[in-house]
Amino acid sequence: MVLSAITEFAAQEPKIYGLVIGLIAAAILAAVINVVAMLLVWLERKVMGDFQSRYGPNRVGGRWGVLQLGADAIKLFTKEDIIPRGADKPVYVWAPIVAVATTMLVAGALPFGALIIDGREIPLVVANMDISAFYIEAALSIMAIGAFMAGWSSNNKYSMLGAFRGIARMIAYEVPMGICVISVAIMAHSLNVVEIVEAQSVWFAFAQPIGFVIFAIALITDLGRMPFDQTEAEEEIIAGYNTEYSGIRFGLLYFQEYIVFLLGSILLVHLYLGGWKGPVIPVISFISPMIWFFMKLVIVLVALIWIRVSLPRFRIDQVTDLGWKILLPLSMVNLVWAVVVGMYFA
Amino acid sequence: MSGEMMAVDYYIPLIMFLIVGAIVPIGALAAVKVISPQKSTFQKRATYEGGLRPIREAVIQYNVQYYLFAIVFVIFDVEVLFLYPWIYVYASEVIPTLGGVNIAIIDMLIFIVVLLIGLLYAIKKEALRWV
Repeated sequence: MVLSAITEFAAQEPKIYGLVIGLIAAAILAAVINVVAMLLVWLERKVMGDFQSRYGPNRVGGRWGVLQLGADAIKLFTKEDIIPRGADKPVYVWAPIVAVATTMLVAGALPFGALIIDGREIPLVVANMDISAFYIEAALSIMAIGAFMAGWSSNNKYSMLGAFRGIARMIAYEVPMGICVISVAIMAHSLNVVEIVEAQSVWFAFAQPIGFVIFAIALITDLGRMPFDQTEAEEEIIAGYNTEYSGIRFGLLYFQEYIVFLLGSILLVHLYLGGWKGPVIPVISFISPMIWFFMKLVIVLVALIWIRVSLPRFRIDQVTDLGWKILLPLSMVNLVWAVVVGMYFA
Repeated sequence: MSGEMMAVDYYIPLIMFLIVGAIVPIGALAAVKVISPQKSTFQKRATYEGGLRPIREAVIQYNVQYYLFAIVFVIFDVEVLFLYPWIYVYASEVIPTLGGVNIAIIDMLIFIVVLLIGLLYAIKKEALRWV
């Protein structure tokens, strides 16, 4: 009854409907993503503690230290807001805002699992566009601008080097990543992330293993995580692009990194690991896609944390070399592989 | 979603995402203005440079090598842009075949090989050497 009224309104006034739905979904997702990102920081610190034979957070919030991030957030909110006098003030102020806002653009097009209602799979996605994979990739690369604004406006040599490195790294891995998305789209015959997930009767991680490895590496560089975190390499350039940031401005940039970590892992699950697809679990069948999705997501997140604690950081010249001279030709090979396999075995 | 929605309509919710995404950090900054102490001094607002007074501006002239990376990136990114529409047409029945193979695939293979030769040239000329 209510549902049919809503669909009727959607058909008549698609623009107003889109604005209202977008506002509601964005508000909910912003809240959920922020909480999940905080839990993710906690998870990472805890898992890293386990890997390094120490406790990790264990004071605030019981034995497991779950509330540690709440305490950290309170600290960041009550710290003094300092803008260095050499900074380019408007750009400096807007950099964290741009970083967070562009991150939300990714969240709008990314499906967050699916529900089975009346035997039909309903993906939980706000903007289900025909080209959402392309759009997400584009939005992911816009995020480098936030980091560059932060590094450039600080008027600090370390920040500047971090910003330069960030852009160099982004452009080195953007092309292999794009070609990997194209290879996936060739096999799925679609650029829509939902349709890509539906097309994975065999996970694309198995159908194109080279592409999976290249995409995972390119994704880690895009997220700026450990083997590839040259933009904020502590031992070389203090804290990279956010050296001059403190208090809540630093907190925003830091949270943005973890939000991107979450969204990037979701993208990896969707493109290569079959998204929410999996055998239907009886009794609780309507949320069984959700269960599969979360299981895969947690495995990917822990795997990325594992990579972070296991591998030392590469030098920046090694990183650009890897991107341009190895991954780019390999991704072309993967493209040809995807065309051939897609033609003869689909 | 009804079938009458135009392609543009899918992007409308994303505008709201951008607005909400901007409101959240702006709200956080406004909250900090209210609850955090404000005792700014001259020394506090100095640029960090290992404890010393900063020498000259940080906005430096970077090595020209950096520019070559950007040029190569533009070439290959445009190539990727050409590949995106190609996904939709390469398997269609309309396109003629050559010896049983779709001609769009052959075209794209030639295109990729030409670009790979270009990449090899750039590597040999040390255009992609980080300095």
